[in-house]
Amino acid sequence: MTRIALSLTINGQTHDVLAEPHRTLLDVLRTDLGLIGTKENCLEAECGVCTVLLEGAAVNACILLAAQCQGRAIVTIEGLAAPGQLHPLQRAFIDHGAVQCGYCIPGMILAAKAYLDTNPEPDGDGVREALAGNLCRCTGYQRIIDAVLSAARALRTSPPSQAAR
Amino acid sequence: MTFDYHEPTSVREAIELSARFGGDGRFLAGGTDLMVQIHRGRLNPRHVVSLQCVPGLDGIEVDGAVRLGARVTHRRLESAAALQGALRGLAEGAEVVGGHQVRNVATVGGNIVNASPAADVVVVLLALDATLTCLGPAGERTVALDGFATAPGVTGLRPNELLTRASFPRLAPRSATAFLKAGRRRAMEISITCVAARLTLDAGLERCQDVRIALGAVAPTAIRARAAERHLEARPLTDGLMRETGRIAAAECRPIGDVRASARYRALLVATLVPRALARCLERIKLGAP
Amino acid sequence: MMPDDAMTSATRIVGRSVPRMDAPGKVTGTALYAADFALPGMLYGKVLRSSEPHARLVRINAGRAARLPGVRAVITAADVPDVRYGGSVKDERVFARDRIRFAGQPLAAVAATSPDAAAAALTAIEVVCEPLRPVFDVAAALAPGAPLVHDAWASYTALPILHRDGNVCNRARIVVGDVERGFVEADRVFENRFTTSSVHQGYTEPRAAVAQWDSSGQVTVWSNTQLPFEIQTTLAEILQLPPSKVRVIVPGIGGGFGGKLRIGVEHFAALLAMKTGRPVKVMTTSEEELTAAYARQPATVAVKTGVTNDGRLTAREARLWFDTGAFAGSGPGVASVATLMLAGPYRIPNLLLEGFAVYTNKTNFGSFRAPSGPQANFAVESQMDIIADALGLDPLELRLKNIVREGEEGPTGQVLTAVGLEECLRRAADAIGWRDRRPEVGRGKGIACGWWTTTGGSSGVYVKVNPDGTVALNTGAAEIGTAALTGAAQVLAEDLGVQMADINVVSADTLSTPFDFGAQGSRTAFAVGNACRAAVADLKRQILALASKHLGVEESALALREGSVVGAGKRATLGELARISQASGGGLIAHGTFVAPPTPYDTKRVEGHVYPAFHSPSFHAHATDLSVDAETGEITIHRYVVAQDVGFAMNPAAIEGQIEGGVAQGLGQALSEEIVYENGRVLNANLTDYKMPTARDVPRVESILVQHPSLVGPFGAKGVGEPPNIEPPAAIANAVASATGVRITSLPITAEKVALALRERAK
Repeated sequence: MTRIALSLTINGQTHDVLAEPHRTLLDVLRTDLGLIGTKENCLEAECGVCTVLLEGAAVNACILLAAQCQGRAIVTIEGLAAPGQLHPLQRAFIDHGAVQCGYCIPGMILAAKAYLDTNPEPDGDGVREALAGNLCRCTGYQRIIDAVLSAARALRTSPPSQAAR
Repeated sequence: MTFDYHEPTSVREAIELSARFGGDGRFLAGGTDLMVQIHRGRLNPRHVVSLQCVPGLDGIEVDGAVRLGARVTHRRLESAAALQGALRGLAEGAEVVGGHQVRNVATVGGNIVNASPAADVVVVLLALDATLTCLGPAGERTVALDGFATAPGVTGLRPNELLTRASFPRLAPRSATAFLKAGRRRAMEISITCVAARLTLDAGLERCQDVRIALGAVAPTAIRARAAERHLEARPLTDGLMRETGRIAAAECRPIGDVRASARYRALLVATLVPRALARCLERIKLGAP
Repeated sequence: MMPDDAMTSATRIVGRSVPRMDAPGKVTGTALYAADFALPGMLYGKVLRSSEPHARLVRINAGRAARLPGVRAVITAADVPDVRYGGSVKDERVFARDRIRFAGQPLAAVAATSPDAAAAALTAIEVVCEPLRPVFDVAAALAPGAPLVHDAWASYTALPILHRDGNVCNRARIVVGDVERGFVEADRVFENRFTTSSVHQGYTEPRAAVAQWDSSGQVTVWSNTQLPFEIQTTLAEILQLPPSKVRVIVPGIGGGFGGKLRIGVEHFAALLAMKTGRPVKVMTTSEEELTAAYARQPATVAVKTGVTNDGRLTAREARLWFDTGAFAGSGPGVASVATLMLAGPYRIPNLLLEGFAVYTNKTNFGSFRAPSGPQANFAVESQMDIIADALGLDPLELRLKNIVREGEEGPTGQVLTAVGLEECLRRAADAIGWRDRRPEVGRGKGIACGWWTTTGGSSGVYVKVNPDGTVALNTGAAEIGTAALTGAAQVLAEDLGVQMADINVVSADTLSTPFDFGAQGSRTAFAVGNACRAAVADLKRQILALASKHLGVEESALALREGSVVGAGKRATLGELARISQASGGGLIAHGTFVAPPTPYDTKRVEGHVYPAFHSPSFHAHATDLSVDAETGEITIHRYVVAQDVGFAMNPAAIEGQIEGGVAQGLGQALSEEIVYENGRVLNANLTDYKMPTARDVPRVESILVQHPSLVGPFGAKGVGEPPNIEPPAAIANAVASATGVRITSLPITAEKVALALRERAK
């Protein structure tokens, strides 16, 4: 199978990749680019651990072809904040005990970010609905909801600086 | 599970590629059905033709009638301002599909062509008397959504045709739509049963002037409950009548039992959800009436 | 931001909701899980699994597969030492040799340069087999003349204590008093039957392992196992090597819940790596998880209970049959624990309780958070409400009348201490507004209570003070997400007088960390915490002795306080002392071990029993308030309350997180989850149709932490992780019965079952 040249924009950086056309964005992120923050599990868009932001919208990277992503801005968990810094969502997840095994968390945080970007004053039901595509088996979701609501409040009072994305 | 990827930049190019590849090719819209089928080994296309760079397929045009481009996502349907009010049922059908990630990419056209008997948006479009525009090498044609799907996964789309649009006529005054779904959990659910209703009341806001009742997941395709519709014609909408209508609709459906639900329960759900959908339409019309 | 418990103001760190130590890595995506682990030159392995549930394996031909592009090795039973392994009964093989016993059983494995190439090779392997008559459930397996799943069962090596016979791989039994006399004494006798489905742990990270051999003939396996030392032993047995030639390392685990206890993919990775001479990674798919993993055993429970008219329990005869699948695995142990759960935390003078683990031609089910708990508790707690209803008694009062009290006996004669059950019941009932129950059509409240163990087994730690004053905690335990290692670190920080930020944890490497019995049975914080206490006691002796010498002050005049030794106006920091020790004495390092003392019980009461007593038992009560849609049967939970006796709340927020998650998982079993079988094959082997609760399905859970300190646990703590899984099915069943008058006796309690039952009753 011939590989094709792809130019992927991830977290603001351009990556030139040679990949077979059938390879998913998830696979290319994890295997070719070493970005293992985006997780793999069901590979069928049912669990949400592979959630990334595609032009600001939450999508499942496991059913997205890498080839479909040329010229489209992708954000993974690694790009949420500058190294050594934490996005208010990340801070809130820590502070509210929203993390247990942590495997669902990168996808969960990105899904939350996409939601808060367009819904800066959410309520609990709205957050639950926005995260319905992200399965968590450890937490029962409660503290995740609390963390997202708390981050929304923090973002309203002080939006992140330019350095954090 | 390997294939070549193509990204046509016009409808004509897309159709040409489809004609060239024939049965070896598949259109890719949101990928929520195609990619899962490929992953499960049920489909193995040699060529995947992405529609994401084909212009003109993602518009929502409202000028009385509504025209939805085939690439309109469920997310845009649920949030479109034009689809509130009397057309709320369509947004309701869209917003219960998958989670945000799925709705951000899954398209109306893909949903129609995939022809799952449980497709939520299809059921609402059926209740809206939707028509489909298909474009092929021989040109463009318009066909009713009703009857377009003939079996699970099988539609009247001709070889090398591309579905470009779903349209439905303007709603009459004193109309409303509603959509209800039953599932084993409250999200990420393929409907066990779903119901869409479109109701138009007479000038006195009492009798049914016109009605459409569409059912999903209770037959090989989404279906209209025509006997139930006839039962309502010109009659005042009482609780008792709506419940009778539900029972008639339940008798019209041909559900199967599968890992999700038994046939008996599905029929029971039809009998329950139809009157509830009608009641919701009734309430919406009365609330919206001057 | 998180609540502190006022009761523990005397302690600095334990008893406080300190943030878990590994959270920053997890929220930034830098934490590494086994599923992320990769090595240069790595190959990808995939497993060929049987599509036949019961068959004679005639021939496997892998020749064509081996020649496909990218394929570097194909292995079958012929390439593996002829070894049978297994925890209680040695009846398992890596690959089927001449007999296939379940649809999904491994037949061969392929290593290739990409996962796609490996998957393609699987389809090129030719398998010839002759179907045999299968048994798909317990009834079929126990029927006269039933085919044997293991013809040679009698010749297998097994734990001598087991009672095995044909398709029964264990019968565990508790006998107390005389049940026949107890039933005669009773005014009423209730007999009820319940069934439960298989459910999957649902961890979001698939099982994964990477194996690599070195030139000395040692294999290193990076895996997300919960029990690295057990995997080391099992793998050594399979490979016919001394355990020292097998090293197991756990980089990180994305959830376990018991499903990652036993060997899963490690052996495939190790064998393929051996054959190819390259590192090999094997990872399960969702389909493999739902067809061939260690899901919870389906169960049938028959409970017969005698009671006086005023609600005193006089006797119980109960049997629980577990469909344990094609291999014994955890079955014999789970059947044993079941008998203790069938008694429940009640005073019942006459008992005949039996737990059976029965072979069938299905996957060998395993251990899932509180194994046997939900199944047994669903049965006995549902029956308590049936009894209360028949006698016209309040379900809460019936329980309060019969629950065990401080100092009384458990079913196997153990003396029960720190019994917090009454407080749990009363506080849960108060919180849900139990006294305010009004008959309301379609809405009702339900309660359920139970008990559970803190599993024993030993844990060792090394604790070392670094020259900068920080502390290294070296433990053989793996962190599976419960924050247990944060809890252990809290104990360490408290005892040593340092801060949480001063502690670094190294964990779960069979070569370089001390033995740990593993992250199972709610034991990790308990045992590792206590091992830390032992280590710190020794470390303090070393520190004070060294400080005394260095400062020229009598030891008796010195104290260790906030990271320094002080006394007689002089001071030395831990860092200084560590530097001195490192230069002249090899460093400040201590080894601490802990094993829970055995719990005495009456050996005459038990037979075939692998788990005859609950150690440092916990007690719990759940209460819920829900509505039922009379037409669709859909259940809406308005409130859910848990009162759990945790002994001592080491980290309240973390414990509440365990309760919230455990209830969510338990509600999945109660309402929507089941692995559906038809003729031995799974119909819903994907996450579309295996329905785990989403964020829209789980109600807010209110937790009440009750504290009756254990005599053994660190600061009085008891195990907390498993119990929240136990009571949800019974609490829901009881509330549904209260709301509708309809009693559902099978799990899951789906809307369909409720709707159809309501229709039946209306006829």
